[in-house]
Amino acid sequence: MIRFEHVSFCYAGGSASLKEIDHSIKPGKITLICGPSGCGKTTMIRCVNGLIPHFYKGDLQGRVLVKERQTTDIPLQKLSRYVGSVFQNPRSQFFNVDTTSEIAFGCENFGMKPEEIIDRIEKLVRQTNLRSLMDRNIFRLSGGEKQKIACAGVACQEPEVITLDEPSANLDHEGVCGLQKMLALWKKQGKTVLIAEHRIAYLLPYIDEVLIMEDGRIREEMTGEAFASLSEEELHKRGLRGKTFENAVSMELPPLKGERGKILLEHFRFGYKGEKVLFDIPRIELPAGEIIAIVGGNGRGKTTFLRCLCGMEKRCKALVTMNGQTWNRKQRLKHFYMVMQDVNHQLFTDRVLEEVLISQEREDKEKAMEILGKLDLEEVAERHPLSLSGGQKQRVAVASALASGREILLFDEPTSGLDHSHMRQVARLLDDLKKQGKTVILVTHDGELLKEVCTVKLSLEDLNRKADLFSYEAVQQGT
Amino acid sequence: MDYKVDLKPASLIDPRTKLLLLFMISVFVLGGAGGEKMTVFYWILVFVPVLLLLSERKWKLFFISVLVYGCSYGAQMFLKGDLRPWESVLALSVYVIVKFLPAVFMARYTMATTKVSEFIAAGKKMHLPDTLLIPVSVIFRYFPTIGEEYSCIRDAMKMRGICLGGGKASQMVEYRMVPLIADCTVIGEELSAAALTRGLEVGIQRTCIWNVKLRFLDYLIMGFCIFTVVWCMIGGFFL
Repeated sequence: MIRFEHVSFCYAGGSASLKEIDHSIKPGKITLICGPSGCGKTTMIRCVNGLIPHFYKGDLQGRVLVKERQTTDIPLQKLSRYVGSVFQNPRSQFFNVDTTSEIAFGCENFGMKPEEIIDRIEKLVRQTNLRSLMDRNIFRLSGGEKQKIACAGVACQEPEVITLDEPSANLDHEGVCGLQKMLALWKKQGKTVLIAEHRIAYLLPYIDEVLIMEDGRIREEMTGEAFASLSEEELHKRGLRGKTFENAVSMELPPLKGERGKILLEHFRFGYKGEKVLFDIPRIELPAGEIIAIVGGNGRGKTTFLRCLCGMEKRCKALVTMNGQTWNRKQRLKHFYMVMQDVNHQLFTDRVLEEVLISQEREDKEKAMEILGKLDLEEVAERHPLSLSGGQKQRVAVASALASGREILLFDEPTSGLDHSHMRQVARLLDDLKKQGKTVILVTHDGELLKEVCTVKLSLEDLNRKADLFSYEAVQQGT
Repeated sequence: MDYKVDLKPASLIDPRTKLLLLFMISVFVLGGAGGEKMTVFYWILVFVPVLLLLSERKWKLFFISVLVYGCSYGAQMFLKGDLRPWESVLALSVYVIVKFLPAVFMARYTMATTKVSEFIAAGKKMHLPDTLLIPVSVIFRYFPTIGEEYSCIRDAMKMRGICLGGGKASQMVEYRMVPLIADCTVIGEELSAAALTRGLEVGIQRTCIWNVKLRFLDYLIMGFCIFTVVWCMIGGFFL
């Protein structure tokens, strides 16, 4: 049904992304395409849903056949009836502002009768428990909820083939479980599903076939069972993430030993205007110089917690005391630095070096180069920050924080959408910061990162529930 | 629990009527066409958006509009006769605000109460070409996105200490625009790709699950609009 015949593809102005792919996708099965970043997973998906060659231009050799026809000959509009697509980024795959219209959108474009579309939507809501998400403003939904709507929109079109490109990159445990339900439904309906994904653990119960890619080629093909029986080391050797599907919230870390400085947080209470209070923590002590992970489900206020910590939320009157100094909100803006999930938002200049220089109190080029050197950024000092890879951008943001002498660094989901080696790279960076005596506080739902490098784990729910216990140890132990 | 799609029209009037009103307000209030003899129509058009906001229970917007109207008209009453220089500056700015406000509120109302999909369906019924409709509907969808991105960037700048008092004011505009444009380009591309894989294309016969049709109130408003235009033209013959 879907065949790659000696397919090679090279993006316009880029290097080869697919090399001599010759493979048939099994109809009615769920196929996982995995491999390290840049291995060609996404390109494979784009060949199937027709975005290559119709939207992303480049040099396509060989033939991609969908339903016995070459994709170059089928207009995208026709192909889209047959292949449905879910993408990675929940914020940029919506055309409508309300959820109901969004689910109907594809069917409307196919010119289906309104009554028929409405029947389908109602059926779908019954099957997949979407009721609470209907008739809502998409901009008010969490990432996980948005991704559910994206899946529902595709499901409503009832295509025979469904492609998903890293659908879980921005989802927490709960969101991933929602995705699993969708996959289970599609499996039952006998759809052909193609998923490109880094996080493989949650997929193991559903996949029939696995393609492991490397450098534009299919390196290995195996059945779902054979794949599930690979050990962690064997997976890591292939550049893949581990297969423990663990909820970061319920993981345990060994307790800290020895004495260390304390960071005292007081009056941490915040809720958005007109909404319920997200957290209310009168007083809590955190250990200084550690890597502290704050965990909790999507929409529970993890990111907001960081925003309050670094002083971005004006209405949060919290105080933070460290080394005998007490900082109010405005002062915290100078002592804390947050690396945002979308790091593009915080790189402003046209040179990496400039980015560091403007953060220094007095511009000092030598010192700036030293900081860049420590973060492996010397060679790119003259490049435009936005031309760098995701990991490099993250490090540039950290460099500017170090340049301005911040003591406490906050990270919002630093490893979402990263493969194993890049996740390790971030872990090393965090560890280096710790060795330099900085305190790192991060929010994450990446269990592997937690295990790899974090020394303290706190769940926002626990912090809230046990607000009367003033030390983090007590909160952790649950006494 | 069974779910039924709620097909009741989301707002009192059809998207086409909203567009017509927006056009009328632009011509007769903002543009001031017709001059003196249009006073009655002028004031009706000024208060149409406020009433519409009220009818949709957009309380916040309604109160803001009443407050701003009240203040500006109040200011206009006081700022008459001989004015000191700063007073005339104030009077001039109030005058500009008063001229623009009704159109701004009407546009805000249209955005807040029209579904993208209704807008496309209404546009199709008006036989507008897809090449115009699709970009305009994307703009609809884009405004909140730009707002979200912009506030993220503003926060990031606050953290870096790049603000008006920071001694780096001259770079502020550049620093703000570069990441914003970069973000919006990426989002725009991803959005187009997603829309294409869901079958959106120029020239398709598209259906719409929402009921887009003209009702009594729409005809009433249209009648009023025609009357306004005729009055403006005929009035010109007599006076």
